[in-house]
Formats: sequence, structure tokens, C-alpha cells
Amino acid sequence: MSDGRSWQGNWPARMYERVRERGFTSLTAFADAHPTLPLVELAEELGKDSFSAVQVFSGLVDEAERSCQVTRLTRGQLVRELSESFPDGWPVVFDDEARLEAAMTLASWIGFTPETHKERARQVTAALLARPPPPGWRPLGPDDELLRTLLPDEEA
Amino acid sequence: MRAEALLLSVVVLTTGCASLPAEPGRREGLSYMPRGAGEPERLNHRRGSGEVVTGVASGGVSGGQSATPTRQAVLNAANEVRTSTSGISNALAKLAARKAGIGGASGVFTRYVDHGSDQVPWLRRALGSATALVDAAEEVADADMELGLLRMTGPRLQAAMFGDMLLSAWLDFLNLADVVLQQCPAYSAERLFMDMGRVQRMMEPTLAALASQDPVRVEAAATTMPGLMGQLTHEFGSIREGARTAMERSGQAMAAAQFVEMLTLVSTLKLSLPRLPPAAPATVGVGLVVGSGGVMAGSRLVVSAEWVEMIRRLVKAGVISVPVVSAAVRIHAGQVMMAQSNGDLPQGVREALGDGPEVRGMRETGRAGAGMSEAPKHHVLPQERRAWFEQRGFTGDMDIDHFCVRLEQAQHEAIHGGGDWRLGRTWPKEWNQMIMSILRDAETAAGRMLTRDAILRLVAREMRRYGIPMNFIPGRRR
Repeated sequence: MSDGRSWQGNWPARMYERVRERGFTSLTAFADAHPTLPLVELAEELGKDSFSAVQVFSGLVDEAERSCQVTRLTRGQLVRELSESFPDGWPVVFDDEARLEAAMTLASWIGFTPETHKERARQVTAALLARPPPPGWRPLGPDDELLRTLLPDEEA
Repeated sequence: MRAEALLLSVVVLTTGCASLPAEPGRREGLSYMPRGAGEPERLNHRRGSGEVVTGVASGGVSGGQSATPTRQAVLNAANEVRTSTSGISNALAKLAARKAGIGGASGVFTRYVDHGSDQVPWLRRALGSATALVDAAEEVADADMELGLLRMTGPRLQAAMFGDMLLSAWLDFLNLADVVLQQCPAYSAERLFMDMGRVQRMMEPTLAALASQDPVRVEAAATTMPGLMGQLTHEFGSIREGARTAMERSGQAMAAAQFVEMLTLVSTLKLSLPRLPPAAPATVGVGLVVGSGGVMAGSRLVVSAEWVEMIRRLVKAGVISVPVVSAAVRIHAGQVMMAQSNGDLPQGVREALGDGPEVRGMRETGRAGAGMSEAPKHHVLPQERRAWFEQRGFTGDMDIDHFCVRLEQAQHEAIHGGGDWRLGRTWPKEWNQMIMSILRDAETAAGRMLTRDAILRLVAREMRRYGIPMNFIPGRRR
């Protein structure tokens, strides 16, 4: 992926081939099997240097749009962001430094949120920083209770 | 003492060999020796840390695991050159103060001494830039970005290393001129003046390329340096021979013989350096092997094991390239007389210096690789928002113009919202808008202005996700 090769040719077909090789019928199912893996590592699971995280995510968005599960995907992505920045859960001491770390993590998440859901993601960000979750909070997937309260499904 | 040092340097150049094992006070640029406690403290610019120069990879350093040895290697290399340049600068100052010799002849040679002194400021700036980047790298809590910043020191470091070698050679010519003017009146000042002008012109294009600190020009200049050093060695020999012949013709045969004898004497007593035979082996790298002490040519140490280790780290991390390192080793080994070839060293030596499949792969796909060198440059930090970044500390060596990457067309289009498969729909915005949006959201969420390091961490995160390697090259200001 370091030289742009991952973008050449019919990479979506290549990607689905890898997904099938790993025994999954969809990217979403593959991603659900690794719910806390940061996106870059999830992409690595499909082969070293084969696809970038943004390619995998664009595939996930594509599937989520078809199945009306973009909100769920958005929650799932927040899980991955949090697990990358706070592998031991939400910081116990929420000082200035931790707050900046959380702000950066959430901003990255907004960046990886489809356009349709960006505003809601910004609201969730503000809410999480205004009323921080309990220390050690570590959502393990898109169906985490607190996450579903913050960002409930609408499509269903 | 002064004359001895002078002759010593003369011989060093005559043999085309710029490296000696542990000769105190030697002023050559590349051979790495661990510095003792006696080193001037001012060499260490690091804040709050006294253990800069020594203690490489002593272990137990927490955080930034893989970048720490590289950081040390960059600092060591920069300090090496800084020490050498200081020595040259002092020697130039002494020459500039001379009333006789090079200071005589109605002062016409002053311009040549000045030419040397004129190089010192840019050498110091290059080293200062490298150190500033190392400082910035240390502050970024992201290993990839830290290495990216350390790689940015490469062109500066290479420019300084080779510029210092060239300046060192020029100092030898100045010293030679000083001796000839003083002791060989038969060799006319006019002729010597022309000689020096010719040598200066010979060095000029390479010096200019190095001073530019442009990665491509520096790399090209460095790899042609062995050839240039060979030419300079030849010039040096012919001026010296010319002076000797002139002395003989004017009936000063005795003095001429002493002149040459002195050189030989010093060479055998002080240096034990074998002179290159006039017809040096035509194959590059012949006789170079890696021993426990470093790279050897026969029984002579070309570069120390410590130097090899330092360079190996720099090569592995992509800070400096194998061809450039090969050029440095060739100069040290005195293998400068043969015509420009591919600059290859024996495989064992290359491997010791960090060459391997990974590094070659990095080179093929990196800045100097075949296809990528034509790939378009792209500012990672959007130019449209230059002032925004300047307010947050992206100035000087950390100016956003230094943070460009080359992107393959397919990748470039995809990042710009083109490409195929819905990426355009998912991300209607371009990379620029995406990155600015993240940075603004982060500031809003944090309720304060982001620091430069926070910005670099966020950018590193996005670059990783987009699969863009953190190999930064300077780009043009638009």
C-alpha cells in the first residue's frame, strides 16, 4: 500500500476475494469479526500492504448504505478509534492531556464518518466531552449500550 | 605543530585518503569515533539531556522504540560534521590572519581563503536544520511521524557531510598554496593563482548543489564526489610536482628534495598510510572487507565499526541512501581515481552499511525510484491554509513546504475524491478539505488551538489510513 499499488486495477474485486478467502461473505461480516481492531490493522488482516484503511472503509460504507446500517457502521468506527487511542479504556484521570487526546480521537472519527452522519458525530463528540463516560469505558462493538444511547439507529 | 598538521593534511589528500583511525585532532568529516567527556559541551544542543553523543542504543529508553537509535545516529552524524567544520573554520581563520604566505602576494589569495569561509555558514545552517528537525521529531508522540521527520534530515545531513569533506579538501589546497608561496618563490604567484582558480571552479558545481540542500541535487552531487575527489587529488599532485620542478630548475634541488622528503617522512612516521599506486586497481571496492574494527582495506582501517553502525541505522531508516554512503566509503578508502562507475562496494560491505532487500525496495518505490520520481508532489498540509499552520508553529525547518509527498496517479485521484467505487460519493471532499476538517473539529472539541505536534499526530494518523508513506520531500511554494 505504500506505493499506491493498492489503488490500481479492480481493487474492490481483489478485496472481496480476500474477504471470501477468510470465510466471510461480506466486508461487514469480516469487520464484525474484529470489532475492536483499529482500521489500519483491519486492513492489514486482508493482507500486508494490500489495501489501505480508507479502501476498506469505503467498502464498508458501500455495504452499510445498501443495508441501511450507516449509523451502526459509524458507531463501529468509533469503537475502533477509541480502541486505538485508549486501549485500556476511557482515561481514569480526565485531565487536559487526556481531554486533548479524546478530542483528537473524536475528530479523526468525524473524519471517517460519512457525510450524512457528520453532524450527528459532532454532537456525540460534544456530548462525550461535556459529560465524559465512566473511567475505563471500553466499548467492544457497535452495539455497546452507551454508544447506542449516544447514537441510536434511525434507519431501522 | 602547525606545520606538522599542515603536512599531515597534505599527505592525507595526496593519498586521496581522508580517514584515519583515532587520530586526535584530525579534521576529516565522516569517520565516526565516539566522543569522550572532553568534547566541548556546546556541541550538545539538546535540552535537558547530557547524554546525547554517547550511549547509543544503550537500551532502557522508553517510548518511540524504533526511532530512538535513528535519532541518536542522526545526532551523532550531525555532531561529527559539526566538530569537523569547527576545526576547518578555525584553520581558515588562522589562514585569513596570515601576513606572509597566503596572506602575502598583495592579498590576491584572500579571495580563496574567503571562498572557504563562505561555505561555513551554510554548512552550519544545514546542521542547525538537521538538529531542529531532530528536536521536532523527539516531541512527536508518533513513531512513524518521528521517523518521517528524521528522514527529512537526510538531505541536510548529506549536504553537510560532503560539503565538509569538500571544504576540508579546499583547506588542503589553501595550505599547499601557503607553503608554496612561502617556500617556492620559483613557482610564480600568478601561476598558483590560476591553479587555485581552476580548482575552485572544479569544485563549484558540486558545492552549489550541496548548498542547495535539494534532495535530488544533493544525492547526485554526493554520488559524483569520489570522481571529483580523484580530480582534486590529481590537481593537488600536479601543483605539488610543479612546485618541486620549479624549485629544481631554479637550482634549489636540495630544497626541493627536502620538500618531498618531508612529506614522505611524515607519511611513514605519523600515518603509515600506503600511498595509492599511480595505477590504482581499476575495480571499485577491491580489497575492502568488513572486519571487527570496521571496514578495512588490507590492514588499514577505512571507517570504524562505530561509524558503520551509525550509518547502518541511517540507511535502514531511510535517512541517507546506499549510493551516497558508498560514495563516502570510496572517498575514505581512497578509491577515487577510477572513472565514475556505479559506485558499488563489495556486497559484504554494502550489507554491513545497511543495504538489503528492504532498503532497495524503499529506494525503488521512494523518492528516487523510477516511476515515483515523476509522480506529482502534493502538500500534505494544505497550502491554502499556510497562515493557519504558521500560527501553529509550522515555520522555518518545519514550514509546510517541507511536508510534501509524491503520490501515484491512481492514489492521488482517489484521495482527491476521484478514483472509483463510491469513494467520490463517500468523500466528496478532497484530502485538503478532509484534513482541515479534522483539524478544525479537533480544535473545536479540545476548545483550544492545536500544537504543532498534535497536528502532526493527526496528520500521521490520516496518512497511515490512506496508505501514504511518511517520506517527506520539499515542494514549491505556490
